[in-house]
Amino acid sequence: MSKIVKKVKERLRDFRRPGYYKEFEYNWTMVIDLDKCNGCEACVVACHAENNLPIVGKDECSKSRAFNWIRIERYVEGEFPNVKVKFIPIMCQHCNSAPCELGCPVYATYHNQDGLNVQVYNRCVGTFTCATYCPYDVRRFNWFTYKWPEPLDQQLNPDVTVREMGVMEKCTFCIQRIRVAKDRAKDENRKVRDGEVVPACVQSCPTGALVFGDRNDPKSRVAKLAKSPRRFRLLEGLNTDPSVIYLKRVMKKSGSKKHGEHG
Amino acid sequence: MKRRDFLKYLGSGIVGTGVGLAFGKVTKPPGAKLIPYLIPPEDVIPGVATWYASLCTQCSAGCGILVKVMEGRAKKIEGNPLHPVNKGRLCARGNAALQALYNPDRIKGPMKRTGERGSGKYKEISWNEAVSILGRNLSELDKNGATEGLYVLTSTLRGHLNTLIREFMSSYGSPNYMQYELFQHRNLIYANRVSMGLDAIPHYDIANTRYLLSFGADFSSTWLSPVNLSHGYGEMRQGGARRRGVLVQVEPRLSLTGANADEWVPVRPGTEGVLALSIAHEIVAGGYYKGADASSWKELLSGFSPEHAARVTEVDAGRIHHIAKEFVKTRPSLAIGGDNLSAYRDGLSCLVAVNILNHLAGNIGRKGGVVPNPAGLLKGRTGTELRKDRITALAKSALEGDVKTLIVYNTNPVFTTPAGVKLERALRNVPFIASLSSFMDETTAMADLILPSHTSLEDWGDDFAEPSTGVRVATLMQPAVSPVFDTRGAGDIFISLAKALGGKVGERLNYKGFPEYLKESWRKIYANNKEVAAGALTFDGFWNRLLEHGGWWQTEEPRHKPRSVSVRRVKAHIPTSPSEFEGDEGRYPLYLVTYPHAGYLDGRGANLPWLQEMPDPMTAVVWGSWVEINPKTARKLGIKQGDLVTVESPYGGIDLPAFLYEGIRPDTVAVPIGQGHRLYGRYAEKRGVNPIEILPVAEDKRSGELALNSTRVRLERKGADGKLVKMGVRTEELGRGIVQTITPEEFERIAGKEEA
Repeated sequence: MSKIVKKVKERLRDFRRPGYYKEFEYNWTMVIDLDKCNGCEACVVACHAENNLPIVGKDECSKSRAFNWIRIERYVEGEFPNVKVKFIPIMCQHCNSAPCELGCPVYATYHNQDGLNVQVYNRCVGTFTCATYCPYDVRRFNWFTYKWPEPLDQQLNPDVTVREMGVMEKCTFCIQRIRVAKDRAKDENRKVRDGEVVPACVQSCPTGALVFGDRNDPKSRVAKLAKSPRRFRLLEGLNTDPSVIYLKRVMKKSGSKKHGEHG
Repeated sequence: MKRRDFLKYLGSGIVGTGVGLAFGKVTKPPGAKLIPYLIPPEDVIPGVATWYASLCTQCSAGCGILVKVMEGRAKKIEGNPLHPVNKGRLCARGNAALQALYNPDRIKGPMKRTGERGSGKYKEISWNEAVSILGRNLSELDKNGATEGLYVLTSTLRGHLNTLIREFMSSYGSPNYMQYELFQHRNLIYANRVSMGLDAIPHYDIANTRYLLSFGADFSSTWLSPVNLSHGYGEMRQGGARRRGVLVQVEPRLSLTGANADEWVPVRPGTEGVLALSIAHEIVAGGYYKGADASSWKELLSGFSPEHAARVTEVDAGRIHHIAKEFVKTRPSLAIGGDNLSAYRDGLSCLVAVNILNHLAGNIGRKGGVVPNPAGLLKGRTGTELRKDRITALAKSALEGDVKTLIVYNTNPVFTTPAGVKLERALRNVPFIASLSSFMDETTAMADLILPSHTSLEDWGDDFAEPSTGVRVATLMQPAVSPVFDTRGAGDIFISLAKALGGKVGERLNYKGFPEYLKESWRKIYANNKEVAAGALTFDGFWNRLLEHGGWWQTEEPRHKPRSVSVRRVKAHIPTSPSEFEGDEGRYPLYLVTYPHAGYLDGRGANLPWLQEMPDPMTAVVWGSWVEINPKTARKLGIKQGDLVTVESPYGGIDLPAFLYEGIRPDTVAVPIGQGHRLYGRYAEKRGVNPIEILPVAEDKRSGELALNSTRVRLERKGADGKLVKMGVRTEELGRGIVQTITPEEFERIAGKEEA
């Protein structure tokens, strides 16, 4: 019996191996230092600008249909005056065993050779399965074909598709920037250098809380930061194996001695 | 018929020629929207981005930016990695500058008023006509010997546009060139002058400090130079192997910066100055201050014992003592004060108290402390001049009929002054108003003539950041794209005006346009300044490098020259009692705290949809205003989350949704500034409320800064649906361990094991 279970498990693991790649060419990873992040939202607007995210207006926002590929969550706990606020930027975690990839009936979302969880817009038929399976609530659905009043449309980034009604979308780790860097590297017959790919959110972050790079390169900043004793991953118990690594915030324990109490 | 069209019609042959023709009409002929590449423009390669180094003007921090341009369109703005102010980083407002450029509600060309003033009826005219109308008006003033009747009001300009307008005004014969913005840090500049003899804003070296004591300064979202200071904050927290710095925030309402602090001191509003002096008292009483004048400090601070302060501030004496000890013993430490602190009636005195703290702890002129900036390459407006530029003085002159012609550029005082100033009425009394605004805002709506100017991505210019970063910084602004609409640069408008006027003005400003003026001015800087000229063989080479790098700045470490604060200097300026608030305590039981919204600042960002849909960092509210109320107070008044509430001061009332917030004192409510535009385009209009309207006219006599925290209010529940829309629902973790933390003690143990 146990043999059969084992076999089934192995088969399942094989099936679940992201994109069926034995190993990744690059292992794009983001490290987010929660002790540096001050929740200023610069990344959110930078992402809007880079990735052609539509503005939906107040009514749609009230129906939770706003577009944010990256968002800042805030946790306000405790009562006055012992209030604690914690911020955390959350975007697609690019899980290496991604629940969303299992659900998609049309393979619109799959794992690519770089370890990225990618979304193919023109395969997507909008079943909403992936968004339901995602434990991080990072997928956003195009309920309408959104319009940019002229001349706002002139700002649209030609490197990124403008999505239409019925398509699911999410953070891509700015795959268009990864592509450019990889193309350049290929032309020069080398690997992509550390720091060559900078997603829009990482680029703008005023405090330098976000760092992006290839974890396969042991000399990269992310590979070093990923070894930090402060590391953790979001909802790790779900075994999704995310590519986003958070570094713990340094903070006094609530319930410990009151702030500033002496003696 | 072209071959392609022919094939297309063949394809739709079944439907018939009629439909085919209609189809041909709808789709423009191929090539209509293609760029002819037979003679391609120099910097347009299809699909390849060109980056222009320029200057961000979304606030007055003066960050350096790179603008990504593809096929002649601006696509993205990023920080300039070489620039010492923002070090390659950029805030949300800077990112959103693209939507100012491509805003659908921009004024598309010069216009003349046809209806009544304020009716919004305008007629499009040509630039020639517009300039000649204004020119005729000014020469008439000149003929009547009333040149002093010309007033020019602009935002805080520090670069060569400032000198150009100054030259224009002096040669025309009017001393009335004013600069006004809501957040101009007048109190801070004046406080530095009286306490340190420094008529400027120094650099606050947060990056290298280990103990940051902030009195209300919300540098994470809006204060002073948010990107520079936020970068410093990141360095202070986790900047390699050094010790992690501590942040203590003193304020009645927890701001974004306060939310990141290790300690929040929820002081009673208006008593921060007393608290600061009480900390100073403890430093001197504890014998930590070793200066020769210790005894006179002791005498000056004798009335500020922690026991006394505890009664006034509601911060217990032990805590005051503890903060004093940590502040003076942790090296280096730094005290900063701003936003909330400088917004009281005696905000200036409170800021003097903060400077005293820095002096007593020996933080002035030290690495990780207060670093005075070297004199800039070009002097902007001095603090002394700023103090004269009061909006109340302008309103008074206008009411008395002294203002004959007013030119407004890049500032919206009708929106940012309390109703009590009666600015709108005063402006109605001005015979002729010209606005150089690119947007129909509340002030521009009063104009008789609109000469729309470029936005920063279309224009030339420069800036000399203040505060700088302890080194001299000059940033150049160059057009990244050609003008989207029929607009002109503000400098060009003044030069063409000078041409129309002729005479002395025309002679003085005899330039082809503003770019020539700018280049000539830089030629002077190049010739007179060895340091700037270093490494460049010719001026042209230097100029090209300037355009390439986005400016010029010193690259060495800042020099540290200690400065001191003397008892004699500050004696007359220290806060002796809590700040005053208007409104009887019985009738108006709650303090009102107003603060600049992270996206809209003083209201200028409200027309950019990205900023409207950006959740407020603390409340996650989008597209509107709200009033923050402590849940305890709300319970007492029967107010629930999202209810419509009236906030009433002795000067008027506003209706807005309630947001229940544990990060505010039960005796205080807070309203963000920035919404409530009557005009200003589709994204800003009739959205939320403007709390400035219900403020008293409380201007500091010394600096001219408007006190935003100067009144008490009462609350009344008006209804159930306040139409509060916020992103995200939960703000509790519910034990899911989403944001994991470790204690500072644990961190001490593992520190050093990290590699960065």
